[in-house]
This record gives sequence, structure tokens and C-alpha cells, in this order.
Amino acid sequence: MSYDDPHHPSPWGPHDWKHGSPHNSWAPFILSMGVAIFLFTLAGAFKWGEFQGWGKIPLIFVGLGVVGFGLLVWWRQDISFGVNGEVFEPKSAGAPFQNIDIRKVAMWVFLMSEMMVFTSLFSTYMRYRFGIASCQTVFESGEWVEGAAVTCFEPASHLIASSWFHIAPGAINTFALIISSFTIVQALRYAKMRDIDEDVRRKKITRYLGSTWFLAILFLTMKMIEWFLGFPLPEFLHEFNHGDSTINSLYTEGYLINADHYQHHEYDTHYLESNGHGLDHDSDLYAMMEAGSHPGGHMMANIQVSATTFYVTTGTHGAHVFGGIIGLSYMTLKAARGGYTPDNAVSIEYFGLYWHFVDLVWVLVFPFFYLY
Amino acid sequence: MAHYKIMGQDPYWMNFYGLMILTLMEVLAVGADLGPAANSLGTEEKVVTLWILTIIAIPKFIMIAAIFMHLYGDEDSGILTMTALFPAFFILIMILFVGLTHPNAASGLPDWCRPGNYGL
Amino acid sequence: MVGKRSKGAIVALVVIAAMLALPSAQSLPVGISGVQESGCNCHGAVPSDSVVASIDGLPESYNYSEAYELTVSFQGGPSQEGNVNQGGFHLWASEGALSVNDATSQLYNQNEVGHTDAGNDQLSWTVTWTAPATDKNVDFVLHVNSVNGNADGAGGGTSGDMWSKVTISLGGPIEVLEAADPFVVLGVLIIVSASLLAITLAYVFYRKDPDAFDWDHFAPWLADWMTSTDHKKIGTLYFVAGLFFLGVGGIMAMIIRIQLSVPGNDFLTQEQYNQFFTLHGTTMIFLAAMPMINGFANWMIPLQLGAADLALPRINAMSFWLQPFAALLIFTGVFSGHGADTGWTGYAPYVVSEGAHYGTTMWAAGQIMLVASSTLTGINFLTTMAVMRAPGMGWMQMPLFSWSILVANVMLFLSIPAFGVGLIQVYLDRVVGTAFYDIAAGGDPLLWSHLFWYFGHPEVYVVVVPSFGIISEVIATSSRRSIFGYRSMVYAMAGIGIVAFIVYGHHMFTSGMSPTLRFVTMLTTMLVAVPTGIKVFNWLMTMHGGSLVYRTHTLWALGFLVTFTLGGISGMFFPSIAMDTHLHESYFVVAHFHYVLVGGTVFGFFAGIYYWWPKATGKMLSEKLGVLHFLTAFVSYNALFWPMHRLGVWGMTRRHHTYFVTTEEALGSLPMEAAGWNMFITVSAFLFFFSNFILVFNMIVSSIRGEDAPDDPWGGWSFEWMTSSPPPAHTLYKLNDGSWGLPTLKDANEHIANEPGWLSSWFQRLLVTDEDTEEESH
Repeated sequence: MSYDDPHHPSPWGPHDWKHGSPHNSWAPFILSMGVAIFLFTLAGAFKWGEFQGWGKIPLIFVGLGVVGFGLLVWWRQDISFGVNGEVFEPKSAGAPFQNIDIRKVAMWVFLMSEMMVFTSLFSTYMRYRFGIASCQTVFESGEWVEGAAVTCFEPASHLIASSWFHIAPGAINTFALIISSFTIVQALRYAKMRDIDEDVRRKKITRYLGSTWFLAILFLTMKMIEWFLGFPLPEFLHEFNHGDSTINSLYTEGYLINADHYQHHEYDTHYLESNGHGLDHDSDLYAMMEAGSHPGGHMMANIQVSATTFYVTTGTHGAHVFGGIIGLSYMTLKAARGGYTPDNAVSIEYFGLYWHFVDLVWVLVFPFFYLY
Repeated sequence: MAHYKIMGQDPYWMNFYGLMILTLMEVLAVGADLGPAANSLGTEEKVVTLWILTIIAIPKFIMIAAIFMHLYGDEDSGILTMTALFPAFFILIMILFVGLTHPNAASGLPDWCRPGNYGL
Repeated sequence: MVGKRSKGAIVALVVIAAMLALPSAQSLPVGISGVQESGCNCHGAVPSDSVVASIDGLPESYNYSEAYELTVSFQGGPSQEGNVNQGGFHLWASEGALSVNDATSQLYNQNEVGHTDAGNDQLSWTVTWTAPATDKNVDFVLHVNSVNGNADGAGGGTSGDMWSKVTISLGGPIEVLEAADPFVVLGVLIIVSASLLAITLAYVFYRKDPDAFDWDHFAPWLADWMTSTDHKKIGTLYFVAGLFFLGVGGIMAMIIRIQLSVPGNDFLTQEQYNQFFTLHGTTMIFLAAMPMINGFANWMIPLQLGAADLALPRINAMSFWLQPFAALLIFTGVFSGHGADTGWTGYAPYVVSEGAHYGTTMWAAGQIMLVASSTLTGINFLTTMAVMRAPGMGWMQMPLFSWSILVANVMLFLSIPAFGVGLIQVYLDRVVGTAFYDIAAGGDPLLWSHLFWYFGHPEVYVVVVPSFGIISEVIATSSRRSIFGYRSMVYAMAGIGIVAFIVYGHHMFTSGMSPTLRFVTMLTTMLVAVPTGIKVFNWLMTMHGGSLVYRTHTLWALGFLVTFTLGGISGMFFPSIAMDTHLHESYFVVAHFHYVLVGGTVFGFFAGIYYWWPKATGKMLSEKLGVLHFLTAFVSYNALFWPMHRLGVWGMTRRHHTYFVTTEEALGSLPMEAAGWNMFITVSAFLFFFSNFILVFNMIVSSIRGEDAPDDPWGGWSFEWMTSSPPPAHTLYKLNDGSWGLPTLKDANEHIANEPGWLSSWFQRLLVTDEDTEEESH
């Protein structure tokens, strides 16, 4: 069997889609190898949360590099799809899916399994959220001693929803995703339009896909700001922020997966008394302090589980956004080369379904992790 | 593509506006002081917040699925909607069996029936 | 040109594989880790040959249980009379019991003694060692530290100290050979099997064209197999990989059985035993059973549906290739002697504790890849069956094997994300330090149990339902009639598929989980036996109304009916929480699940192999060898697993590395007969293991000089029998008018006449708006 023979295109790509799906491809083998290397080397770089040294990091990039290479081979076979009449978009033969594109059915089935992924993550969160007493409750019950960490559940919303400034990145993210859902649909609309100039179509699709890509990057950037970086406030807004010049990130506030001695000013009786609202007069703690049986002080909490469920769930969603960015990178490049025509516009639809699903998950994550 | 109009306008734009408005309502609901409302209903403020967030999330979910994901108004909508809703049973089972069975979660069971009590 | 490129690729692959293997290679066990190797460097000392350590008082060979006064001492080094401190020692003995005579030494445990502060100022110490009562060779490792005494007061300085060590081996009254290290045994056997596999592949290639046996021809052939997206090739790859790991899992089982053949055995230590049963379970389920199912499915589903290939061919290839790499990850931990020792169920919190071996992280990582592989498989098959059936083939005209794969894949891809999430949680806990299962932080170990069994129970049905499908096909063809009650078979399988998700709590009855859930699960578990029972009765009725031909696949199907039913009945003791509390973690469970997994799944696979081998390879298997295989395997299998029921009721615990028998009624020990039964089981295990080589031999002989197979050797009626044996690369079917092409249902001799029922008619009207559908209702 010789390569570069039109009947047997190279397993490295490019592929002639007039003959249907590729019969040979190096991509699956290489991708699998890359994933295995990545998981192996990642476990070498960290053990029990302790960093094992920068020497281990280059190997992780070897794994990621192999994954990237596998993706490139995959894309090399795909890039000609839809161009010059090379389309292979079979439709379903039988009931109840007849005449629906096969790949559309496949995408919906995939989304079903993704629903189960996020359900598992949400179930974990629910189990812990309802099962472990919240730090606020524990604090107000007075069943703690200063200096001894008490295990309790501190929802991230306690920090994030504490002020309009804190919630700004999350709100921007929500808007970003909704707008990006809109732009991807517009890209699809222009791809499907028949009575339009080729060049106009190409430019419109590229712009809309590019905007979606940009909004996704914005999402991840806002997430990093919220998680790690924080952001400074202009002078005139300082007074609305209790005089603080920055909005602290979760990292700065100590909301970390290894936070076993978390101390927040919300749980400091001295701070509460000197900064306005004070303790809730209905609480047991107030009664105990009045009676003199509790000295008050600064409660220390072990909030590892809370931080873990927050970061892993929102992180998994972020990882799906990142996956979308990878797909969008390919699609934007392909669009810029004029690769989307009404014949293969459905490819954008398939990605759109995935992207709307990511937006859907955010619609659930945002209120229940960031606001509640 | 969507062949229908919402209130005379392009359905995608209208969907977008609608989602924005609902999001704004969510954020306002969290910011507002629901204390008096909670007291009049006999529950805590955070339970009221939870209800409001859930009740707003449901239409958002349906709007994205129906309009952006073309589950409404397309010829293949019927079967694809059934496909999308098929996991509902399994999701419910997981939430009930995994999410809500923490031993310390609120339980109306009497002591002798709680985990770990074997009467030995 | 091509040869050079692919040579380079192969070299690169070998280099990468070596890079991966190297770290594990460093950690081959040389003994219990710790002081024995690295020396007692509490003084930060430097090793030196000028310090000479010695042990006096050891005999030539020890006598049982005799006590010996040992003097450990050293000479040389910077130590001098008059120093503040002069020296220290640490003595480790692999067997026997050490004890101290005075305050200058202290006992850490019965294997280790060291010096105390009071004994800091001498060059020799006296300890007592009591010889063991076994015949094992004993190793002594003595470390001494020669101190230069530059310390100013307590604490001691460390600069200038020197240490040295001496190792002595002592034999007992009887000369014993070095005990085999089980990991070395396993490693050697795996390497041998892999080499045999490689040689077989090379030979297969040679046979294709003896004149073209060189690299320039081999590289493209190999590359074609590595890159193919053709469902037939991928099916073969899955099958070969599955068979290979079936053998490896069997080897592990043999090693376990050697350990359990006599009470109090020490062939495997507890640490090693834990790793072996973990690997046995994981290998058999994920690396043997699932790939073999995928092998059958990949081969037969497109053929049975009349489709050209699966819906997503490249993703299909991806599903396969994730598996060998996942297997590499899972086994990486094993050969370092630190493989996962958590059981295949990986219960928390042990699985995230530092007590669990390092290999547990790789075990989790490999299984994450397998989750991805299974998800992609599930999507692929569900889509294929939904959209690529031949024109005219409605849902109720699909063969039962296709239905079984459909139900299995739906269960699989809906349940496996829960497992994937759980594994990611374990992986993150162990690597990044998250707190999902950290008890002190509020983590709940039951969460893992819920997530695992939410997947785990549907998984065991995923593994057995395709065998149901194979058996349906085989019994129908062997009875020379269509299956009895096709519609109820379909509904029964669908029912199993749905109910499987609400019964998983029965694996957790003794875990302290929610009592309400326990009660609900008890009821649903009793319920889930009903659809399976319906299937068994349908199979019986099929044979009753037909005329049975006794081929090898028929024999295996009959064997399946017996053993699977027995396994199902033994399973019916578990829904009752009271019975489960007694039987949980006993050999009764082991007997039950091996009856349904081996007697059910594996026997189904054997039936499938004998049934479809001619179709896939174009050669017939020898019926004589097949019958011999069946008789030896079936008898030894029952001898192997049946007595385990009795052992379980007596209370023999599973996952314990050994057991003890006594004539007295003592808690935790077994009657004297248990020892005899265990030996009987071990012998049967070896017989069963070797009987399966008859099948391997049969396959090899058939490939070399088997009779050519006709298109339809057994008289089957599904579409796969309309193709040639083997089918061409682009599958073509022989249609009724003699031409070759893709079939419609009209072309098949279909004996399954089904009017669409009221449910399907309603469903059709509800969903299909297209006026002219191609549905043919007969």
C-alpha cells in the first residue's frame, strides 16, 4: 500500500473527503500516547499537593506537545472538509432520527454523557454543602475555640457575593458566555446563507467565530483574575469598598484547597464589632459572649472541602471552555481560509451545540456556586 | 436556522435580551435584603435566595436549549428534545442517591434508624 | 523513504517508552525500604570502608526458636576513647524476634533494634535474637555509626562521622531456596506472553507472503494496523488485546490461588496479595472483558445492521488506542512493587491515604483514560444503531446481539462519567492535594462508594448483557428457529438497563449508608432479577420449540444457561440486607460474581468465539478441540468456583491474604475441611487455566491449516451471514438477486415478523413528521 495514492490518502493527512471518512489516521494513536504521558508526568510533578520541583515540568509539556501534535494530524485531515465539494455528511437512515445528520445525533449523545459528568460534580457539591455545617452557622453557634481549626463549609459565594465589585468578574463571565452563544449562532447563520457574496460570508464567519474565541478567552481571563490575581479599584470607588484599594482574589483571601486554618474577618468578633454591623443579636454566640461564657475572637476554619468542590467544579467547566477555545482556534483559522460554505455549515452547528451546553452549565454553576 | 420570530424580532436577539434580563434579576436577588420576605414565609433568607435562583435558572436553561440549540421549531426538534431529556431520570437518581444522602444532611428519621446505630 | 520514516518513528516510540519505564525501573524492590538501604543518617554521616561492622554469636545455621546472644560491634573510623559519644548501631533481622538485654539498646519492633542515648558511648552492644520456627532464610543488616565526638553536649555534631554496614544471611536447619518474588514471576510471565504474541504477529505476517518478509513490507502493514479506522481491524485489535489481558488476569489469579492453597501461607505477603487481587479485578473487568465485548461489537454490529462502518470511525480508533496506553499506566505501578493495593473498588479513604501505594495514582490515571475510551465507544455505538440501520430495518427487527450492545452501551456511557469524576477526585487528591476524601477536612468516604457503585453496578450489567445477546443468537441458530419472545427479550434488556441504575446500593449495605436508600435498594434489587429470569425462560422455550444441533458454541450456550442461572440464584441472597450483612466480603460473594462473570460473561465470549470465528477469519475451528475445551473447562470451572459458596458461608473472608483453620469454634477461623477445599480449588484453578489453552491452540491451528469457512456455516439469519467469510475491507453483502452491495431488510431471510406495537406506532406518530418514511411494517 503506497501513500499519497488518492484512494489511500496518507494517515498523516490531508484527506479527500469525497471518499468518506478516513480509513487510516495516526491521530488516535498519537493522542492516546500524549494523554498517557501527560497524566503520568503530572503525577510526577506533584505529590499530595507538594510541588516536586521545576525539573519535572518539562516532561508535562512533552505530554501536552504530543497531544497537540495528535490534534494537528487530526485537523490536517479535516481542514479540507467542505471545500471544493468535499463533503461527507451522511444522514440518518431510520426512525426516529431520519434525515438528521449523523454527527448531530452523535453530538447530542455526547452531550448526554457530559450532563452526567456535571451531575456527578453537582451531586458531590450538594452532598457536602448540605452535609457539612456552614461556617456561618458554626460561628454563630459559638461551638468553637480560637486557635483550634473547626471543619465547616464556607461557600465561595460568601466571598464572591459580598459586594458588587467582587461579583463583577462572575457577572462579566455570564454576559461573555451569553454573548458568545449569540455570536456562534450568528456565525452559523452566515455560514448557511446562500445568496451572499463568498468574501462577505468568509469575513462575517471569521469575525463571529473570532469574537466567540475572544469572549471565551475573556471568560478564562476573568476567571484567573477572580481566582488568583484580583484587581485594583480606581480612587473614586475606594469608599464603596470599605476603603480598600483592591478587590482581593480568592487566593489572596486564603480560599485554597489546602486551607486548614482559614481565618476571615467575617468570623472575627473584634472586627465585626469595630466595623459596623456587629454580631447578629439572635445568635447563640452573642448570647454566650454577653453571658461571658465565650471570649469571642477569630475563628479558624478548615475549609478544604469547600474550596475543593468550588475549584474543581468551576475548574471542570473552565476546562470545557478551554476545550472550546481549542476547537474555536481551529475553526477561526479554517473560516479565515474560506473553509465554511453552506455545504459544511453544519460543522459550526455541532460546535455550537457543545458551546451552548457549556453556557447551560454556566447558567447552573453561576447561581449555585457564585451567588448562593 | 430558526424560521420563526419572537415578538416580531429576530429570535436570537430576543433570546439574548431575555437572558440578560434574567441574569440581572439573579444578581439583584442576591444583592437585595430578603430578610423581611423570609420572615414572613417562616424560613431563612438563604432558602428564599435558593428558591429564587432555582426559579430563574429554569427558564434560562429552557431558553438556551430551545432557541440557541434549535430544539424548538426545527423539523427534527421532537426526537432531539427527547434525546436531550432522556438523561433526566438518571440525573434525578444521582442527585437523590448521591447528592442528598449525606448522613448529616437534614433527615427526619428517628435516632434508632440513623446510620451507625445498630443497637449493639 | 517510507521505511526510514517509520523506522525513525519506531525508534522514537521506544525511546519514549524507555523514558517512561526508567523511573519505575529504579524502584524495583530490594527489600523493605528504609534504614536497611540508606543507612542511619540521623547523624548526617558519610559511608566509609574504614569502619568495619561485625555481628558475632550467629551460628552456622539456626535451630528453630532458639535464642542467640549476638554482639554487634565496629572498629575504625573517627571514634576514640574519651569522646563524648563514640558510636551507634541499627540492626535489622528479616525473621525471628529481636530483644534487648540492657538499657544501652532499644527495641523498635521485633525486627529492629538500635542504640539508646545511654548506649551512645560504646563500640559494641549485646542483643538477643530468637530464631523463627519456619525454614526461611534470615537476612541481617547491621548499620554502625562511628562518631567523632565533636559534639558540644547533647544533640551531637554530625560532621566527620562515618557509617558502614554489613549484611549476613543465615539459613535454617533445612536448606531452602530463595523464595520467588511474586512480582518477578508476574513480570516474567507477562514478558513471555507478550513475546509469544509478538512472535505470533510476526509469523502471521510471514504467512501472508513469505517472500515479502522484510522491513519495507512490514512497516506499512504494521502502520496500517496502528492507524486503521476500519471496524473489522479495530475489532481484531480489541479482541487480541482482550484475550492477552484475560491471560494476564488469569496468571494473577493463579498466583492468588497458590497463596490460598494452604492456610497461613507466605508465598505472598499481605502487601503483595493486596496488589494482586486489585490488579486481577481491574485487569479482568477493564482490560479483558470490556475490550472483548468491544471486539465482538466492532466486528459484528456494522455487519448485523448492514452498515458500511460505525458512525464515527476515527473516534472508534481513538477508543481503542486509549486502552493499551491506559494498561501501561495501570501496570507501571505494579512492577515497582508499589502497585495499587486498594481492591478494584478503590474504597476511600484508603485510596487517597499515604498508606496506599504510589501505584494507586497511576491506577487512577489509567482508568481515567479507560473512562474516556468507554464514553467514546458508547456514543459511537448508540449513534450507529440509531442512525445506520439498513433501510427497512426498524428497531424491532434488529438482531438481539445488536440490542444487547445497544443496552450495554447506553448503560455504559450514562454511568461511567460518575466513575470518571470519582477517579479525577482521587487523582487530584493524591496529586494536587484536594480534599474530596480527606476525613479531617470533612471529606466523606461514602461519596466515593456512591459514585463508584453508581457506575459499578451498571458496569457489571454492561459486561454481562452482551453475553446475553450472543447467547440469544447462538441458541436461536442452534435450535434452527428464531428466538422465542423477541419482543419480551428486548423489553427485558431495556428493563435491566433502566433498573440497573437504582440497585447499586446493594454493594453498600454494610457501609452505613442512608437507611431509606438501603430499603429502596433491597426492593429494586429483588426486582431486577425478574427481567433476567424472563430471558432465561425465553431461551429455554426457544430450545424447546426448536431442534437443537450440538456444536461447540451450542455447548457453551448450554453451559452458560446452567452457570449463569446458578450465579443469578446465588445473587438472590444479597438483596436481603440481613443475609448480606453476613455474606458481605465473604467467599460467597466471590463465588456469586465469578459464576455470573466467568460462567456468564466469559462463557458467552467462548460461545461467540466459536460462533463467529469462521465469519471473521474465514477458517473453521476444530469441533473436536472445541468439545475437549468445553468439557475440561466446564468441569474444572465448576470444581473451582462451586466450593467457594460453602467457604463463604463458613465465613472465609475475601481480600484477606491468608486464612486459618482450627478444630475449635473460634471467631474468624474456619473448620479443618476449609483447607482441603482451598487446595481443591487451587488445583481446579490450574486445570481451568490450562484448559483454556486448548482454545488458543485451536485458534492457532485453525489459522494455519483450518478448513475454509463458507459464508454461512451455521445457518444463521442475520446480515453478517450474508457477507463472505471473511468480509472484504469494504463490506459487501450477497443480495438475493446474486449481486453484491449493501442490504435492505427485504434481502435477508428474516424470520422475525413483528408488527410495530402500539408503543412504537405512538412513538412514530409523535416524532416523525416526515410523510414518506421508509419504515416497512410487515
